[in-house]
Order: sequence, then structure tokens, then C-alpha cells
Amino acid sequence: MNIIVGVGDMKVSNNPEAVLATYSLGSCIGIAIYDPVAKVGGLLHYMLPESSLDAVKAKKNPYMFGDSGIPLLFKSSYKLGAKKNRMKVMVLGGAQILDQNGLFNIGKRNHTIVRKMFWKNNVMLDYEAVGGTVNRTIKLSVDSGEAWLKVSGESAKQISWM
Amino acid sequence: MDVEKIINDINSLEPVSQVENKVMEIISEPDSSINEIVNIIKYDQAMTANLLRICNSALFGLTKEIVSIKQAVAYLGIDKVASLVMMGKHGKNFKKDHSGYDLEDGALWRYSVSSALIAQDLAEKRQLENVAMLFTSAILKDIGKVVLNTYMQDAFNQVKAKVQNESLTFIEAEKAVLGIDHAELGAMVAETWNFNQATVDIIKHHHNPDQASKDDLALPIIYLADSICMMIGIGVGADGLAYRYHQDIVDRLNFSDIDLQLTIAEFWEKLKNIEELVQLSGGN
Repeated sequence: MNIIVGVGDMKVSNNPEAVLATYSLGSCIGIAIYDPVAKVGGLLHYMLPESSLDAVKAKKNPYMFGDSGIPLLFKSSYKLGAKKNRMKVMVLGGAQILDQNGLFNIGKRNHTIVRKMFWKNNVMLDYEAVGGTVNRTIKLSVDSGEAWLKVSGESAKQISWM
Repeated sequence: MDVEKIINDINSLEPVSQVENKVMEIISEPDSSINEIVNIIKYDQAMTANLLRICNSALFGLTKEIVSIKQAVAYLGIDKVASLVMMGKHGKNFKKDHSGYDLEDGALWRYSVSSALIAQDLAEKRQLENVAMLFTSAILKDIGKVVLNTYMQDAFNQVKAKVQNESLTFIEAEKAVLGIDHAELGAMVAETWNFNQATVDIIKHHHNPDQASKDDLALPIIYLADSICMMIGIGVGADGLAYRYHQDIVDRLNFSDIDLQLTIAEFWEKLKNIEELVQLSGGN
């Protein structure tokens, strides 16, 4: 059973039959987390780095932004029994159009915000596929923690991150 | 690759009807008369029914049900109605699977509608005239991909290698491998359909906005909307974001970084309603 995580959305699950999936990450960032002991998985797909852009929109949908979505991803997984010290963490997306060097380089800024927050909170990465000009799709099995990454124009490949 | 053969495949597209051509002609005139469009559409029952369905979709949030074209014009304005007429008609070419570009069923249409809506939004913010023409050009800008799709199925690995190894943009690699790129070919489609020169030029240069004259904002707007759509990733295929960003052209539009981020956030809020529009449009 696929649980689709849309753009600006987040889902956690401990249903062994569930596969969490998010499609077509461009400059957006996808963060997948997995606790192999509790068998809890989570997936976030945020579009923009900082919720200070628009407090009202951020309150309505915190998953649109990195700084408001990331803490909620982890907290929601803890509620299902996941523990931070066992968590596998993967970051994907953050692609850029060629020569996109100005302020509107959302891909780079989306990546910077997650790096800052993970650094501050001592979160280590187990896998990262960020940047470039490609689109990425990720699927995560809640039962096994197996994950597949599909880069636009290529076939899906399993990721070793456990 | 036999470019003549590719160009010849333009004939495999569903042709445009006389009504579409007439509406297109009117919207490319700066001072078009409302009644003229209403009079043309009202005799095409399928077009009218489709238009009314779209007008009543959640995206426009109208509290009252629209039952006539005159009413639609009164509530939404002539520019939007003309845009929706054109949108209602063109989906038939876009709504297939385009596996050559790694796009599943409907993905290219979703991309076209999304980037046209973003272009419309940016054009309204800059108070541009002739938004219907701009919207229609944005809807049609990737029509060349529909024709190139079959050839791309075989050529993709070569195109990808050029992007990866020679630092070409996707469109430069397309041209290098196939002898013609989707923008060039799309412009030929628009010419074949006798569309106005402005639309032909926008389609031709939608990845090369530096071809726009200094005072032309339509092409930069469509280019920026396309870039935003690529970044969000709605309906993006094998080409991904492998195009060049022209900061100097975007700067002409005077949007701040905050303006553009807000455009993305606002787009998200409309996403569900846009999906309804994507499903409703292009049905006939």
C-alpha cells in the first residue's frame, strides 16, 4: 500500500504494509527517516526553507517549510515509538537550474536549512543525494526500511542506508 | 536524425479547430471586443459546456453557479475566459503518456497548466496586458515535446550523456542529437496552426529569454514561471532542471526573492484545486 506524501506534506507510519512515497523532488527537499527497531518510517517533502516568509501560511501548513516541517517529522515518529538514537536519516532533492546563483536558488537554501538544523541537533546522515539538475522520487518500505531512489530519466535503484 | 521526418510528424497532432483559431486571433489583438469572443464560443456547445465546468471548479471559488458565457465573462473577465477556452481545447494533445521524456499519463498537461497559471499570476502582479495570449503561449510552449516524444525514446541515452559529459542544457543536447529541439519544433507547430507571431516567438524562445526585446515582459514572465514550475517539480520529466537560469532576464521583472517564494507558497495553496482543473480541462 503506497502512502503518497504530496508536495508540502509529511507522513509517518508503523504499518508494515505501507510504502511511503514522494514524487518529483526538484528544488524541494525530501527527508526520509526510519527506526529499524520500532519499524517506524517517516517522510517529509518541503518546498521552501523558512517559515518566517509567511507565519499564517506556516501555521496552516508547517510542512511547506523546512524549519517548521523537520521538527514535526521527528516528533511525529517519536509518537509511534521511534527513538532518535536509532534513527536512519536520508536527505534528497535540492536540485538547481544551471547557473542559478542568486538569492532565488531555493534548492541550495532548502539544503542549507536542513544541514543547519541537523548540525545543531546532532543528527547524522546515513544517505544524501542532493543538488544537480535532476528530479528525484523516493519510496520507503515501513516494514524493512528498504528504500528506492528514482532519478528522472533513469530506473529506480535501491539505496543502502541501513 | 531525419529532421524533415520529425517536422512532418507535426501532422500527427490533433489539429486546432476553426473556433480555436478565431479565439486565438482575437486574443492576440490588444483591444479585442468581449462580445466577439462570446459570440464565437456560444455556437460551440461542447466548448461552452466544458468552459462552464471549468469556471465552476473550486479554483475560482465563485459562490454563484455560472450558467452562461456572458456571466463567466462578467465574473472572471474576458482574459481569464479566453484563457480557459484555450486550455479546454489543448489538453487532448498533452494528456497522453510521454515516456520518451519519462512523463507518465497527464504529467505534461499538469506541467503546462501549472506553469501557465503561475505565468498568469506573475503577469497580473505586473499588470501586463494581453494575459490570455500569454497564458495560451505558456500552455502550448512544450507542444514540441509531444511530437519529439517518439524520437526521444531512442535518443534519450545519447541526450543524457551530452547533458552529463558536455555540460549542455537539455535543449542544447536535444538539438545536438535530434537536429531540432522541442522549442524550435513547438514554434513550427504554432506556425502550422496559423497562430500569431508573438505566440510563435514565445514558444521558440521559452528557454532562451535573452532573445526578448528589452521592453518585452511576456517572454521573461513565461520563462520565470517555467523555472518556478521546474523547481517545484510538478510534472517534471527526464529533462529535470537541466536548463540555464538567466538572472539578468528575471531581474527585468523586478520581483524580489520574497515575492517569488510567496508565489510558490500561494501556488501550493491552490494545488488541490489546480488538480481538479487539470482533470476537467482538455476533455474535448
